[in-house]
Amino acid sequence: MIKIENLEKVYKTEEIETTALNGINLHVKAGEFVSIMGPSGCGKSTLLNVMGLLDKPESGSYKFIDTELLTLNDKERSNFRKRNMGFVFQNFNLIDELTVFENIELPLIYNKVPTVERKRLVNEIIGRMNIVNRSGHFPQQLSGGQQQRVAVARALVTKPKLVLADEPTGNLDSTHGNEVMELLCELNETGTTIVMVTHSSHDASFSNRIINLKDGHVISEKINKGKTEELI
Amino acid sequence: MFKLNLKIALRNLWKNKGITAINIGGLAIALAAFILVMMYASYETSFDKENPNYDNIYVVGVTYPEFKTNYVAAPLATAIKQNFPEVESAGLITGSSFELTIKNGNNTLFTKNILVADYSAAKILNIKPNSGLLRPQGDDRLTYLSTESMKTLFPNKKDNKPEIVGFGASNSGITGTIAGAIKNNTHSNFKFDGVSIASELGKNDNYNMNAYTIYLQLKPETDVELLEQKINNLYKAELLKSNKVTDVKSISTFLDPLANLHLRPKAGNDAAYKILIALSTLGILILVIACINFTNLSIAQAAKRGKEVGVKKVMGAFRYQLTTQFLVEIFMQCLVAVVLALMLAELVLPSFNHLFQVQLSIWHFHNGLFWQLPLILCVITFIAGIYPAMVLSGFKPAMVLKGNFSTSKQSYWLRNGLLVFQFCIAVVFIISLLTINSQLKYMRTQDVGFTANQVVYIKNLTLFNNPSKLGSVSFEPLREKMMNIPGVKSATVATYIPGGTNGVNSYSANGITANIDFVNVEFDYFETLDIKLKEGRFFSQKFKTDNVNSAVINESAVAKYGFKNPVGQTITGSGIDYKIVGVIKDFKSQGFESIVQPTIYTINDPHGDYKTQIMVKIEESRMAEVLATLKSQWSQINPKDGEDFRYEFLDELYGKLFKKQEQLQSVFFAAASLTIFIAILGLFAFAKYITTGRIKEIAMRKILGANDLQIFKLINKSFFVMVLIANLISWPLAYILTKKWLETFAYRIDIPILPFVLSALITILLTIITVTVQARNAVKANPVDALKYE
Repeated sequence: MIKIENLEKVYKTEEIETTALNGINLHVKAGEFVSIMGPSGCGKSTLLNVMGLLDKPESGSYKFIDTELLTLNDKERSNFRKRNMGFVFQNFNLIDELTVFENIELPLIYNKVPTVERKRLVNEIIGRMNIVNRSGHFPQQLSGGQQQRVAVARALVTKPKLVLADEPTGNLDSTHGNEVMELLCELNETGTTIVMVTHSSHDASFSNRIINLKDGHVISEKINKGKTEELI
Repeated sequence: MFKLNLKIALRNLWKNKGITAINIGGLAIALAAFILVMMYASYETSFDKENPNYDNIYVVGVTYPEFKTNYVAAPLATAIKQNFPEVESAGLITGSSFELTIKNGNNTLFTKNILVADYSAAKILNIKPNSGLLRPQGDDRLTYLSTESMKTLFPNKKDNKPEIVGFGASNSGITGTIAGAIKNNTHSNFKFDGVSIASELGKNDNYNMNAYTIYLQLKPETDVELLEQKINNLYKAELLKSNKVTDVKSISTFLDPLANLHLRPKAGNDAAYKILIALSTLGILILVIACINFTNLSIAQAAKRGKEVGVKKVMGAFRYQLTTQFLVEIFMQCLVAVVLALMLAELVLPSFNHLFQVQLSIWHFHNGLFWQLPLILCVITFIAGIYPAMVLSGFKPAMVLKGNFSTSKQSYWLRNGLLVFQFCIAVVFIISLLTINSQLKYMRTQDVGFTANQVVYIKNLTLFNNPSKLGSVSFEPLREKMMNIPGVKSATVATYIPGGTNGVNSYSANGITANIDFVNVEFDYFETLDIKLKEGRFFSQKFKTDNVNSAVINESAVAKYGFKNPVGQTITGSGIDYKIVGVIKDFKSQGFESIVQPTIYTINDPHGDYKTQIMVKIEESRMAEVLATLKSQWSQINPKDGEDFRYEFLDELYGKLFKKQEQLQSVFFAAASLTIFIAILGLFAFAKYITTGRIKEIAMRKILGANDLQIFKLINKSFFVMVLIANLISWPLAYILTKKWLETFAYRIDIPILPFVLSALITILLTIITVTVQARNAVKANPVDALKYE
């Protein structure tokens, strides 16, 4: 589904030039659950941002089901993103002024889904995520785990082909963290492709494949045997 | 989508209630000021606009070497009408020269202003009596009284029929007919207590009698410049033909549109226009300051909205959608501010009307607010909102979602620049206000050269001219009767009182001929006004010749004619050789704006104006008693004036010369207070954001050993520097402006340094207090909490 070749990304400040991605090659199949690991500053988040079309690389190719995405303009990128991708962030990034229901509804509004259909989809995902009794609450009124459930619900409500998760359990305790990971696994089992950036080997163990980055290079790839068999 | 954005906006505003209140409140106050100024400006610029021929009406004026005037000779109107087909109609008007008493039984009306117009002028100027405009037959006049005047004389009158009334004192036996009522248009240059319409005016006048103002109604598409030239040539030719004037080179005519008449007539001063421009500028500047607050606070708030922008962008929002969303939010706040501003303006309007002597109303359809307000709303939304909207919508999602909210260097400079700009305006206003105060204090305390205190000016219809003009009598019996009242120190009569305009006439002396001011007086004039003698003597009954050909001149006249030893010299005017018997010190009869004019005082003047202005000096302790006696005995003291004793205090009349400047002082006081208030409001909110943003830094510094004072200093430093820069920028500007204003006075203070120092002290002090109050919370907070929070 995803073919990334020779991806390069350089950050320039007035004095320093930092190569964040240095000739990255990466293929992700549909339905796969891929974890990206590596030390701080190795380029994990940059790679995820490029995959989510939130950042532009200097060179390389990024194909999503045969569509080259790096040649798209801002408007096309925005359109592609909202139709095909969902995001889960470490710090949840829920809008404080909106309720749980409204936060989840937001991507559907941008996708111009009619009101009735929108309500149905939001209610459906709220039920699935087990947060029905929280739908009228504001984010500050929820625990971290609950907030991340809402964030996951928001990422999934548009039924994206790809979910990009940036340290989804980074701000959670182990119990809530496990809950979120199980949620992602369930999603993956229903066919959603997931790419997750994580520091945690425990979280990575939930995925099919683990890619290790260092200094902007892919230094190793590890197949998670138990999970791969499941996939096969 | 709109609903959701609305929810976000409302919840956001509610969450930041304090800042929202400051933002909307500050804008509402500024808008209220702006609305008042706008209403005033459109009122002042639309006098007589209801006249259907407004754009085609012109006044004919004459330029002499020394001055310009709208008073011209009546025959010129006829000549213009006969010679130029592009002139549709030409009419004449003039005013009555003194106060008239009209009586109906026990009801008395004192008319100050009866407008005398010929039929053509009444038509041109749209002067319509309630019963319709009629052309009087032959030499008859049709006199109409304003609706208010009619109510005074005939409280129960319902019809429009003519009425017989008495003129002057009850015993005068003079009667006349009032043809009906006429509505007075307060929004017109032509205000009156009554109108007297003649079929024709000035029929027997010649080109030496400049007693009328000519109004022309031109045909549309007339080339005004060409006509102006043609009238100029015609006037010169007519003057030469009349043999009244031989040198016409230095005389020319001009046409002045009706639109100029109220604010900047060519023959007159344009002070009202300048005040209007100053006022409009103030209104705009106050609004700009409030808009700056908006912009600054919105950019400062950007950090709080960063996450929202990031999330929305990740979900596929386009930049224009976000820009629109923020603009709509700012629009909503501006809308609330407009509604509040209207309420505020309504509250302040009575005081405003009182200050400017107008009758403005927000709910008057013709004031143009119904289309101006929506326009202003859109403009301020755009000015205050476009930059923050662009900054917010331009956030890079990958950055802000990681918590990096730093706005660009440009926006940092813009924010500080705007803050400096706000304080620049405030500083200019403070300096201007303090300078105005100093000049007014100088005017109030400076010796004007005469004493108006305890002098009562009595309004009077009897003429006391010497030699006798038609119907005039000697002042001596009147003086004797008044001097018999205990408490009266002295009494006199003159053609003009200090504070009014003097007459101008040509006098020759020492080989020099010049137009100088003249005042015809009676004995005790100088004593009553306590005017200082420089050399010689005042007029005295002991000298028989004083009634005939003695003159007193002032120091300026001595200088004008270059006299070395003026007393005993001769000065010739109105066909009389006057002997100068005394020189008085210059006194500021025209206030502080005009320089003291060379002036001659004589008792005898065959061509002078009516000597009617009685002045009586009364002992302060017996003032009430004397006034009561004068009132009760007035018909015996001054039988020709009748039973109606009317007076004013001379110091109050003279004080009216200061009124315009006092008005300006009030306006600047309001403007300076408003700008300071709004700027401080903005600073207050801005400082809050700055300290909130530095809360972690403050906590770290405290942990590392900084004390409270050091931290206060740290936070205040940047604001202190900004306000100091604002002062430095403003000083030259304020210097130029106040210098220009002071130059409008003939007698003025030197530009004082104190306002400049005070402006710096006031702004710096207010800034430090405001910032310190805001920083206090951050400084007093437990550093551990701040770090945990972070």
